[in-house]
Amino acid sequence: MKIFQVALGILAAIGGFVDIGDLVFNVSAGATFGYQLLWVVVIGVVGIVVYSEMCGRVAAVSGKAVFDAVRERVGFKAGLAALVSSQVVNLMTLTAEIGGVAICLQLLSGLPYRWLIVIAGVALLVVVWVTAFEWIERIFGYGGLCLLVFAVAAVKLHPAWGSVGHGFVPHMSTQSPLLYAYFAVGLLGAAMTPYEVYFYSSGGVEERWGPKDLKLNKVNAMIGYGLGGFLSFALMITGGALFLEKGIQPEFLGTITLGAEVPLGQIGLLLALVGILFAVSGAAIDTLFSGAYNLAQFLGWEWGRYRHPRGAPRFTVTWAVLLVLALGLVMTGVDPVQLTEYAVIFSAVALPLTYVPIFLVANDRTYMREYTNGRLANVLGLLYLVVIVIIALTAIPLMILTNVGQN
Amino acid sequence: MVGRIVETESGRRIGRCTDMRADLGRGRPKVTELVVGRRGRLEHFGIGTPRGQTPDAVPWEAVVRIEGNRIVVRDGTEVV
Amino acid sequence: MTGSIDLGLNVLDHQLLDSENRRCGKVDDLALEGGPGEALELVAILCGPGVWRARAGLIGRAAAWLGGGGRVRIPWEDVAGVGSHVKLRKRAEELGLGRGDDRLRPYLEKIPGADR
Repeated sequence: MKIFQVALGILAAIGGFVDIGDLVFNVSAGATFGYQLLWVVVIGVVGIVVYSEMCGRVAAVSGKAVFDAVRERVGFKAGLAALVSSQVVNLMTLTAEIGGVAICLQLLSGLPYRWLIVIAGVALLVVVWVTAFEWIERIFGYGGLCLLVFAVAAVKLHPAWGSVGHGFVPHMSTQSPLLYAYFAVGLLGAAMTPYEVYFYSSGGVEERWGPKDLKLNKVNAMIGYGLGGFLSFALMITGGALFLEKGIQPEFLGTITLGAEVPLGQIGLLLALVGILFAVSGAAIDTLFSGAYNLAQFLGWEWGRYRHPRGAPRFTVTWAVLLVLALGLVMTGVDPVQLTEYAVIFSAVALPLTYVPIFLVANDRTYMREYTNGRLANVLGLLYLVVIVIIALTAIPLMILTNVGQN
Repeated sequence: MVGRIVETESGRRIGRCTDMRADLGRGRPKVTELVVGRRGRLEHFGIGTPRGQTPDAVPWEAVVRIEGNRIVVRDGTEVV
Repeated sequence: MTGSIDLGLNVLDHQLLDSENRRCGKVDDLALEGGPGEALELVAILCGPGVWRARAGLIGRAAAWLGGGGRVRIPWEDVAGVGSHVKLRKRAEELGLGRGDDRLRPYLEKIPGADR
């Protein structure tokens, strides 16, 4: 029974891994560089596994979620700066995800986009208000599994497997190394999006994990995120095998679904759309809650997704306000795919603010006792801190130099 | 207190105060030491102090006066 | 509660939990009494937007203004213990903490499904 439950959780995690940032960056990277950047996805996925395991462990042992740790370690002033920047990035991501939901609904129904934004917003509000969180996680996680259609599509497109394999070995053969670097940074940013760890660690605190749950935490992080990364490979391979061959740059979410439609027909298209719809809606809900978690944890308010709205009033009002703000922003007609690129790049800049404090708390014996970072977690953790700082410093220059990946 | 510079009366700089150590006994916690210098800051960042060493600190009794941004301690005060 | 703690590291900016484990704010600042030549004691925990002003310059002032500037002083006698969180002896209401949540609750309760 326990194994069954864990398996269900993992399935939900795989379905929940991919969000609009992964969709956009993996497919465009494939369409631009073929399979060359697959190795970057591996690095990104290992990174999110390392840090979500660390966050989960901190949550289980010390009962602190990410923004508790941020404030305790860097203090009020720097913590406030971290809060403001992560909230801005979070709101951008949320806006992009909601736009993505509306686009999927539009492709499925043919109704006008603006109506569908409203419908998407109302639907998200109602789902979050009336559905118990366990169910939210499952519904959107399992729905997101439809994205596995891209794995089938990737095989059916008969990619040159030799070059796919070669893609896992770091190499670069291109005339435009800056663009290559831009996509590498984007892929890392998309795989290690900070809202994932906010959400994960807060969930751990809420479910009252203790040291006995540390094994579960490890399994969840490794298999859930690890297999989620598998979907990213599939997306990039369809990008390389279909779009690069035909010279298409997927600038619309609808173009991405071609990756499944061309090899598999109508059914492929439908599964891809449903998969994207669920994955992106689930990500929208995660992002929404993350924003509320961060604020509540920074200020010490009552919070929790398992609480009744009346159990955590300010938390509830915060997510409701964020949802309205994001809906307003989508309504301005901003292009969700483009906004996604900006959101991922800016989140890359904000990454150190999240990951450094977590690394520090995970090393603090006073709270972590015998569960402080071991040698492996520290070596990997430090390596990734270096990676994160590099991408944080290079993200914006690369964005400007490549004209947001356009050159 | 935190952030001020700790100096001796004769002007020898000991370091910057990074934290205050207090005794949790009965009643209100009493400040016993001022944590100074780099090691205290590292500890704040959880980097831990190697093998049971505590970060550098000066006892509160050694503090003579506080002038603006400086905490003046008695001459001959050493970090412990 | 015995042993020694670093006030900045182990108390400041930590979560406050009331006697019923309700999250009711953060340790926004500490009030000390005493000076050179006498004992320096931690007498109270300060909490609320009004305290941020002193802690973060311009950005802190802006946050304090947004937060309404209220402040609450919790005498150390009402603190039950310091661990991962700072635990209080009384309920949040008695100490004047968590008021924002209490003020919003009646409105939320009017919406159906608020206590699913």
